[in-house]
Amino acid sequence: MEPVRPAALVLDRGRRWSLTVVNVGLACCAVEAMVASLSTTTPAGTVPYAGDDRSVDVLVISGTVTDKLAPLVRQLHAASPGSVKVLSFGACANSGGPYWDSYSVTKGVDQLLPVDAWVPGCPPRPEALLDALEALAPAAAGERVLDAPLVRPSAGAVGPQDLRGRPL
Amino acid sequence: MTLAGRLAEVLPAAAVGEAHGVVTADVPREQWVAAVAAVRDDELLDGTFFDHLVVVDQSPGGFDVMVRLWSVAGRRGVHLRTSCPRDDASVPSLATVFSGASWHERHAAEMFGVAFPGTPDDRPLLLPPGGIPHPLRKEHVLAARVEHSWPGAEDPAYHGEGGRPPRRRLRPPGAPA
Amino acid sequence: MTGAPPPRSRGTIGLLEENCTVCMLCARECPDWCLSVEGHTELAPPVRAGGRPRVRNVLDRFAIDFSLCMYCGICIEVCPFDALFWAPELVPAEQAHDGLVEEREALRAWMRDVPPPPALDPLAEPPEEAAAAARLDAVAASREAR
Repeated sequence: MEPVRPAALVLDRGRRWSLTVVNVGLACCAVEAMVASLSTTTPAGTVPYAGDDRSVDVLVISGTVTDKLAPLVRQLHAASPGSVKVLSFGACANSGGPYWDSYSVTKGVDQLLPVDAWVPGCPPRPEALLDALEALAPAAAGERVLDAPLVRPSAGAVGPQDLRGRPL
Repeated sequence: MTLAGRLAEVLPAAAVGEAHGVVTADVPREQWVAAVAAVRDDELLDGTFFDHLVVVDQSPGGFDVMVRLWSVAGRRGVHLRTSCPRDDASVPSLATVFSGASWHERHAAEMFGVAFPGTPDDRPLLLPPGGIPHPLRKEHVLAARVEHSWPGAEDPAYHGEGGRPPRRRLRPPGAPA
Repeated sequence: MTGAPPPRSRGTIGLLEENCTVCMLCARECPDWCLSVEGHTELAPPVRAGGRPRVRNVLDRFAIDFSLCMYCGICIEVCPFDALFWAPELVPAEQAHDGLVEEREALRAWMRDVPPPPALDPLAEPPEEAAAAARLDAVAASREAR
């Protein structure tokens, strides 16, 4: 059993519902994910995404991943922190969906990235995305605490680092 | 003066008829560029809006290339069509007549493998580099449909007792014969 | 759940096994090939003594892969025996890829959520089956009268 970290628990509760979700909007499912971000029943809101936000918790792949775009999706994932969760939203991201037999479609984003949750639908309802994020929230928030960047004063050529010793 | 009549006057070497509800002129390949330019420049036909160029792989002999020219003022359009044999799949480029045709020709070239000599740009338009060549040709097989067995090929008559012969084997909907 | 879908929405698919004859039409017509239907034949006693034994299809497996399903409804429309229905539930998200394949138990459970069919249009023409049944009744009545 994991040793209890009192500081971690406090931070978990506080952060449980503050997930930073990036909607990788590739096709129609992106619209449903956008509607989910307007939800008034779950605390949600949108902020401009600068592209290098190190606090990204969840990448929502919403839409068809074509073979031409696949390298960019991989690049986006690689630029995200190591603790990011990937949520495959919709039939196209799950398995290619209606385009499962196409010559130009990657049959499921799990062929490119490690996926943590699959949401079925074509497109799924916005409520389905919120439910899936709710299920991911404890895992994402818990790991984020461990990965939270902490600026250490630099003593020499090494610049500021996070807790894992990775440069910020 | 009907649309078809005027088209026949402007393109004497073409066979003018109707296909899919639109006045269509079948033009010999060697007069392709001149024919499109003539329809564009004719005052009555006024085919100044280049709508699209498509390639169709339906006749066994080769590919049909079809262009739709539209008159904005007159709100009517015509189709011009030519064809090329499979082993000599090339049609002169229309980029000198309509510069926007070059994107349509690039797309047709990557999808069907039809060459457009005289085109200013022969790079692929949409397909990724290293992708499957010419996927819209009829002989191109969709790999996913070969790898996965069709669930509809199952039948309870293949399992169990009864002696009833199974119904004749079917193909999935949309699969070519 | 943050809000229930409207009653006629295409949330998920319910299976009424009693109506299914394993005709395989749904599996054949699905554009995504996401229905896996398996069955076998069994012999049933003849209707009358001395008759031929009847051959009956028995359903072994009915699974829908919801990672592929695009909710087109072709399977529901094509079923000649009304064994498939839309249900306004949400297929739950899974954290394992194969978790999106739902077997017959889950499909039967969703039958609970299927709303009752809408009322018939009072101005519509009567269905042919009703007219055919009425004709048969008339024939039987006239036979009895003789």
